[in-house]
Amino acid sequence: MALSVRPAGDFRVSYQQDRTIFPTRGSTLWCIVGILFLCLLPLQIGGKSLVSSYWLALVIQIAYYGIAALGLNILVGFTGQISLGHSAFFGFGAFMSAYLSGKHGVPVALSIPLAGLATGLLGVIVGLPAARLKGLYLAIATLASQFVLQDFFSRAEWFTGGASGANAAPFSLFGYSLSGDRKYYYVVLFYLVIMYVFAANLVRTRDGRAMIAVRDHYLSAEIMGINLTYYRILAFGISSVYAGIGGALMAHYTSFVSAEAFDLLLSINFLAMIIIGGLGSVMGSLMGTVFILFLPEFMQSIVRGIQSFGYAQSAAFIEGLAYMKEMAIGMAIVLFLIFEPDGLAARWRKIKAYWKLYPFSY
Amino acid sequence: MKLKLALLSAVAASTALGTSALAQQKVKVGNLVDYTGATSSVGKISGPGKVDAFNWINANGGINGKQLEVETVDYGYQTQRSIQLYKKWKDDGAVAIQGYGTNDTEAMVGFIAEDKIPYFSLSFSGHLTDPAGVSAKAKEGKIKPAPYNFFGAPSYSDGTRSLVIWAAEDWKKKGGSGKPKYIHLGDNHPYPLAPKEAGEQLAKELGFDVVPSIQYALAGGDFKAQCLALQASGANYAFMGNTTGANVALLRSCATVGVNVQFMANIWGMDEAGMKATGKAVDGLVWVVSQNPWGADVPGMKTFREISKQSDPAGASYRPLPYVRGACQVLYLGEAMRMADKAGKLNGEGIKAALEGMKDFVPFGTDGMCPAVTWTSQDHRSVDTVGLMRARITGETEQGDYTELMAKGVMKLEKVADIKVERKPGWLGY
Repeated sequence: MALSVRPAGDFRVSYQQDRTIFPTRGSTLWCIVGILFLCLLPLQIGGKSLVSSYWLALVIQIAYYGIAALGLNILVGFTGQISLGHSAFFGFGAFMSAYLSGKHGVPVALSIPLAGLATGLLGVIVGLPAARLKGLYLAIATLASQFVLQDFFSRAEWFTGGASGANAAPFSLFGYSLSGDRKYYYVVLFYLVIMYVFAANLVRTRDGRAMIAVRDHYLSAEIMGINLTYYRILAFGISSVYAGIGGALMAHYTSFVSAEAFDLLLSINFLAMIIIGGLGSVMGSLMGTVFILFLPEFMQSIVRGIQSFGYAQSAAFIEGLAYMKEMAIGMAIVLFLIFEPDGLAARWRKIKAYWKLYPFSY
Repeated sequence: MKLKLALLSAVAASTALGTSALAQQKVKVGNLVDYTGATSSVGKISGPGKVDAFNWINANGGINGKQLEVETVDYGYQTQRSIQLYKKWKDDGAVAIQGYGTNDTEAMVGFIAEDKIPYFSLSFSGHLTDPAGVSAKAKEGKIKPAPYNFFGAPSYSDGTRSLVIWAAEDWKKKGGSGKPKYIHLGDNHPYPLAPKEAGEQLAKELGFDVVPSIQYALAGGDFKAQCLALQASGANYAFMGNTTGANVALLRSCATVGVNVQFMANIWGMDEAGMKATGKAVDGLVWVVSQNPWGADVPGMKTFREISKQSDPAGASYRPLPYVRGACQVLYLGEAMRMADKAGKLNGEGIKAALEGMKDFVPFGTDGMCPAVTWTSQDHRSVDTVGLMRARITGETEQGDYTELMAKGVMKLEKVADIKVERKPGWLGY
């Protein structure tokens, strides 16, 4: 695949060249420019903000959901396992960080990675059935963990506050408070970059390639000496670390965590993000997250446009539009899957290839 | 990588599209509704109530001549969407927001306190009633101060307390011997769990024997097993914590099993649509209503007929309880905005001050429909009297819609009592 889009005469002659994250200097540069640009987003110049708080909040949400989605992609896309309980891990991370910082006085800067690790540990335990189960059976086992954890969230008052939910302390570093969207954004961005770089590197290591081997053909992998149980459970662990960190970032963003937020629907949404973005693609996870979070906002802006035509304030009209919007969102996803089954990441590669060789593609 | 740039250019492009020109003379207000999400059975009735009330205020002079520019959005009961909308409305300069459910409201408490935007909700959770953080729960760190949260209705906990007080009186009146048994039924979910502690605590104080609670799913289903367990528990008074849909299923299942218990439900636990769906099995249910049913002979009904005509010019529709409940929240806000405007402070702080100055206040002459509310800067428990009603079914409810059934008298709501639930300091915040 990758070879077909490279110009003639450009050969990779070492493993290092083949496994590099950035194939050309241009792409390295673009990435740095991109991150620098992201760093500029929350700035306010002379009282005017570069990006409105609406868009900033959307980017923050994309970042923490994107981290969790990447975790699921490591499990599903790279290791070929399945999980219908990802939102429960996301929730566990959120509650854990709120619990550590609120009840035990752990600084938030520390409670976020700790929550990630704790969630990873839980993921390893919940992932144990993966040693024996595959496919649909594993799906049901993880579904069970979703419900068990959801029940735990509403009952364990000492941990989650039960029905009242838990308050999460604001983020501060060395006594400097980083609360408020425009400051907290940098915390989320920091984690986003770190977690994506880690995942991009993970798939280049021995462990990462072992996971891919488990996905592609477990029997061959085992014959090659890969410990299936180990790598399946490791994938669960790593994926849960990501979910936990994403959840913890969300907790300190909204400063409140409710058991209600982590239902099966969110787990399905995470799956939708990585399927639309592209299974087994690091960048695809982020693209899928953008798609899933943008779509309702985009549809809403259309509805807003229609409503601005005077008469549209009637209750029945608003209700009708609400249904149309939901159907349109569903329709967009279905159409997308039909015409873009390999996800956004594959489409992006095609676009890049097209323009790289334009107008003389071969 | 380049993807990040692509994402950003998309963001930038849509920002340009999104920031539409705003009319300057208008007063911006956001309105969250749920037509398509998990709680749509209530949302579909309360949502039009809120929209009609806004339109009615605009048709009657708006806020001292200034028109309200209301953006009503169905958020499908998804927290992340409500946060997005909140940020958007904040950018657009909204002075107040009509919110919706437990999850979105509690997730917003921190944001709105920081941005000073009054937020009405249809979540009547007791957690939202402590504006200054003086309650025991706030001191324990279990809840946070909610200075900008408002709702004009009995809180879930106070509703449950009123049912317990009524049950104790009812037991005496019936001449029951020994200790009556009280049971909490509900899912492991914030809405049913919110008043559990308050109800069981008061039940114990009033001499009930509190038996272990039974779980039944919010999503509904067949609850015969739960009904058999309920029968075995020997409970006399059963509090159903879930919302209407699940309660319909529970009541029907228990009627099949033949459970003989006095059922009670909280404020979102039953309405006319639910009564029709339940039929005979709902007969005798006592629940928190705190308003009069549609068409009651009270002065406030006149205003409500006008409000209803906003979406039903013929004026023939019967509006179930959640419609009025939703509209009332808009009316409280509307009056407060008028007061704030007169004082020259039509902003978040001005509206909060106006709301906190209300004492036994009924908005727009809606006596009998919207409860008289009192808010202070120390206590956002709006009411201290809770109205209970009993459902009566005299025939088959399968034919016809609730408008016909109520008109024919097949379904009736009977007033049971107005229960005084004091604003005890110890009960603040839950």
